[in-house]
Amino acid sequence: MLETQLETLAGTVRARILAAQTPDELEAVRVEALGRKGTIADISKGMGKLAPEEKARIGKLLNTTKTGLESALAERQQEFAAAALRARLDAEWLDVTLPAAGTRPGSLHPLTQIQQELEDLFTSMGVAVLDGPEVESEYNNFDALNIPADHPARDMQDTFWLSAGQCLRTHTSPVQVRGMARLGPPLLMIAPGRVFRNEEVDPSHEHTFYQLEGMMVDRDVSIAHMLFFMKTLLKHIFRRDVTVRLRPGYFPFVEPGFELDIQCLICNGEGCPVCKQSGWVELLPCGLVHPNVLRMGGIDPEQWGGFAFGLGLTRLVMMRYGIDDIRYLQSGDLRFLRQF
Amino acid sequence: MKFSYNWIRELVDGLDASPADLMRLITIKTAECEGVEETGGHFASVVKARVLSVESMGESHNRKATIDAGGLGKRTVVCGAPNCRPGLITAYVPAGTSLDGKQIGRRVVEGVESDGMLASGAEIGLNRDHEGIVELEGAPGEPVDGCVPDAIIEVDNKSLTHRPDLWGHHGMAREVAAITGSRLREPADCSRIDKTSSPINVSIENFELCPRYSALVFENVNVRPSPPWLQYRLQAVGLNPINNIVDVTNYVMAELAQPMHAFDADKLTGGAIVVRNAREGETIAALNGESYALTPAALLITDAQGPIAIAGVIGGMDSSISGSTTRIVLESACFHAACIRRTSSRLKLRTDASMRFEKSQDPVNTERGLARALELLMMVSPGIRLVGGMADCAASPKPRTVIDLPMDWLRRKLGREIEQSEVVRILKALMFVVDEPEPGLLRVTVPSWRATKDISIKDDLVEEVGRMIGYATITPIAPATPTTPPPANARRKLHRELRQLVSAQGFDEVYNYSFFSEDAARRFGLDPAAHCAVANPISTEQSLMRMSLVPGIWRNIQDNARHFGEFRIFEIGSEIHKQDGDLPNEIPHLVAAVFQHTKETGPFYEIKRLAECVLPGCVPQPSAARDFEHPSRAAELAWRGKTVGRVFEFHPQMVEGRAVVLDIDLGVVEELGPEGKRYRPIRRFPSSAFDLSVIAARRALSGDLETALRRLAGPMLESIEFLRQYEGEPLAAGEKSVSFRLTIASSDHTLSNEETTAVRDAVIQGMRELGFEMRV
Ligand SMILES: [Zn+2]
Repeated sequence: MLETQLETLAGTVRARILAAQTPDELEAVRVEALGRKGTIADISKGMGKLAPEEKARIGKLLNTTKTGLESALAERQQEFAAAALRARLDAEWLDVTLPAAGTRPGSLHPLTQIQQELEDLFTSMGVAVLDGPEVESEYNNFDALNIPADHPARDMQDTFWLSAGQCLRTHTSPVQVRGMARLGPPLLMIAPGRVFRNEEVDPSHEHTFYQLEGMMVDRDVSIAHMLFFMKTLLKHIFRRDVTVRLRPGYFPFVEPGFELDIQCLICNGEGCPVCKQSGWVELLPCGLVHPNVLRMGGIDPEQWGGFAFGLGLTRLVMMRYGIDDIRYLQSGDLRFLRQF
Repeated sequence: MKFSYNWIRELVDGLDASPADLMRLITIKTAECEGVEETGGHFASVVKARVLSVESMGESHNRKATIDAGGLGKRTVVCGAPNCRPGLITAYVPAGTSLDGKQIGRRVVEGVESDGMLASGAEIGLNRDHEGIVELEGAPGEPVDGCVPDAIIEVDNKSLTHRPDLWGHHGMAREVAAITGSRLREPADCSRIDKTSSPINVSIENFELCPRYSALVFENVNVRPSPPWLQYRLQAVGLNPINNIVDVTNYVMAELAQPMHAFDADKLTGGAIVVRNAREGETIAALNGESYALTPAALLITDAQGPIAIAGVIGGMDSSISGSTTRIVLESACFHAACIRRTSSRLKLRTDASMRFEKSQDPVNTERGLARALELLMMVSPGIRLVGGMADCAASPKPRTVIDLPMDWLRRKLGREIEQSEVVRILKALMFVVDEPEPGLLRVTVPSWRATKDISIKDDLVEEVGRMIGYATITPIAPATPTTPPPANARRKLHRELRQLVSAQGFDEVYNYSFFSEDAARRFGLDPAAHCAVANPISTEQSLMRMSLVPGIWRNIQDNARHFGEFRIFEIGSEIHKQDGDLPNEIPHLVAAVFQHTKETGPFYEIKRLAECVLPGCVPQPSAARDFEHPSRAAELAWRGKTVGRVFEFHPQMVEGRAVVLDIDLGVVEELGPEGKRYRPIRRFPSSAFDLSVIAARRALSGDLETALRRLAGPMLESIEFLRQYEGEPLAAGEKSVSFRLTIASSDHTLSNEETTAVRDAVIQGMRELGFEMRV
């Protein structure tokens, strides 16, 4: 009798659990069926009248029914919780394409970037990075580099003079003089920096531009050593092997002096407008350090030799990014600078 | 320097390289060529023609001419030249000829068909005469004498700076002969000059400045235009044909690099030429119509009356060649390079002669120049006669330059093996004299034309050998690598860190010039006279070296405000400060700015935040504003006990919108060095916090309030944090409330409520004693 009642009850409650549409409805079912004053509790109260064996059997059945209903209830509760979480997450939809607030990192000047890149490369090769002033003595800029007064080579560099007789350095080469005095031989140094020429400004000429000077002084330095160093350098700058050629070039502070050309990277030497159809692009003047320069730097040319080179950083930046007007570099124009 | 391909070919036996190939050879072995250009291609079809008749064409200035063009027959052309007249032999350019890139055709001019054209000297590249059609001699149908298509190779002058010999075709031909292994022809035959005495006497007072002066005297001179071939050749290499005498001097200069000058002998006074220093203030009227005042540093050529030429630079007007000249003195001399250079730059007068002399010419060359001129004058001035022999005054010749070249040293410099025989062959091809006084040692005698400046030490010979074997034959070899890390560069490290930091905060890096104008200096309260001034500025905009980066940044703000409503920029660069008797003091600065096109509060606190990122713990102190600064928004920055810079807003009259600036002296920052850091144990006991509000006058500095609170809170204070400030009800007008949160703690126990309260009470009490009302 009780058995049938219990079974019917279990069936009804189970159906109501499944039918509950809200956590509140479910809770009402729970209270009604499984609460302290619920129907299950009522039945268990009525068990006192039963015979002991009957009591044990029904009691067991009651427990099983109760446990079964509880787990159905818990399962349904889980479903509601999961649905609620789903609903919350769905409601938290964001337009991920909306712009984010706050300022963005600014840009570094392309000349800064190339300088830092080259400084890192040279430092990794054990090269010291030295500095020199923008305003130099005539001696350091010219005389100590084997360009005495009245030497026609002074025409090669249109110079800005200060009223006090000093000049704006026309090249980074005076840092050679400073480097020899400061570090002595053996010496491996570069000096990137700002240089000046008294030239009218147009899309391809500036009175202010950047160079990188390099110098190595050691026992027995040869043209072959210089070539190796230059090729390594250029390979890293252009991130590929480059074909180079040396040809005679005149710079009073080196002997022999060279112009180093690289095979045109645009046409691979076939000839194109960039290389003026020659297949070669002039890139870097270099040479073995003139014994007079070593001597004036306090280094004995019979004991030591060296090579030196000058890399045009401004030119390199223009080549790398395809910049067609040199004047942008010092314009402060953010429409230009923010591209880097 | 322009080189004629035909001219070089005349001097080098059997040269068969094309102009383009020759250019490549010269570039690789000798000097940089800038390009090669075909010239005179029209001479393949231009012929002489006789004008038969000339008919007027009504109102037009043009006339219809019938010409006899020899084998081409009779042609009709329209010609506007005033000198077009029957009987004239001139140059006829047939239709189909390309002239200066322009195709000459058959075209109808004012109703008359012109079959080709008659040409001026300028049009066919003989000279610069545009006045009329060229007047020639000879017969119709003949080609223009000695004029054939040529190619001009342009060599970069800078790469000839050290090569006095390459300022003439013969010098370049000598290189080409050595490169190609061909035989060089010698155009000058010195045996042509009689070994008798000259009617003119030459003397030199200063042998240092004039090592040699040679001259010839000619009579029965006939001054007239040069023949076409001579004009064409000069014109092709950029020299202006004038008359046969002057043209010969220029021809010899272009061939042998020996500048020459011709005087009208009848205009000279006395029978002697003296080379001497100018006297102070001595003046001369020069060929170019200018008058020059000289100093004793300049060298003059003089006769009995005074100066007749500025040595090595320009001749005098009074003694110059004219149409009536019948006797000439031909000068061929050598002058000191630096002296000529100084004079020419002082007079701002660079001439073809001075350009050559300043490269250190060879005294041996003067006689060759005269011999070659003699031969040419005989050709272009029929009937001319040399009077006597050569007048010649010279310092005792310089000893030959002899250089010892050890073979093993040479190999070490080149970085490759090379046979001694090959070295000897190369040097001999370049006309060095080579001996071997001991095995492995070459004794090299330098030819006179290379010994004036170019070649004096063994290193110079490395270049001679290297360029001739070709640098491409040298295999790169890794140099010995250093085993020690390079010395650090603290300045660069600091600047690099700052660049990363500041750009990460949203600032774009700009580069500005190291120059600015006097106006800019004044606008920013700087005295122009205190600056390093550029003696030869490009413009007044760039006449001073910048003593501040702020004017440049201000300019950037103005420029960019046209395109952007808000931006952040920065620059790291040097201020240049004049120091008497020394190089200027160059002080690196960081200047950063934020601009907002707004009238609101503006970005002052953003730039202050940047200052705190760059200089953690820096303290701004209100400071008297400079004229360009906002009078109520300017502060000096103190950091680690030093003044390191400023933050300020631009005065509203300087910028439309709001622009704030941070300016830091990186020299001071660098001196202070990185801050030493030391670990403090992490506190293990909980802290307590309480908030306090201080009522203060509106313009009281919160920084001062904080300092007072900090002092009163004593050693248990762990941190103090600004929360907010407030003005308005219920505070009185002119008052504000500033709230702080104080956190206190102990390193060895948990604070009791009593301890916390005691600190709080002490702070409140202390502030009240200082006169502040407290909201607690
Ligand atoms: Zn190319």
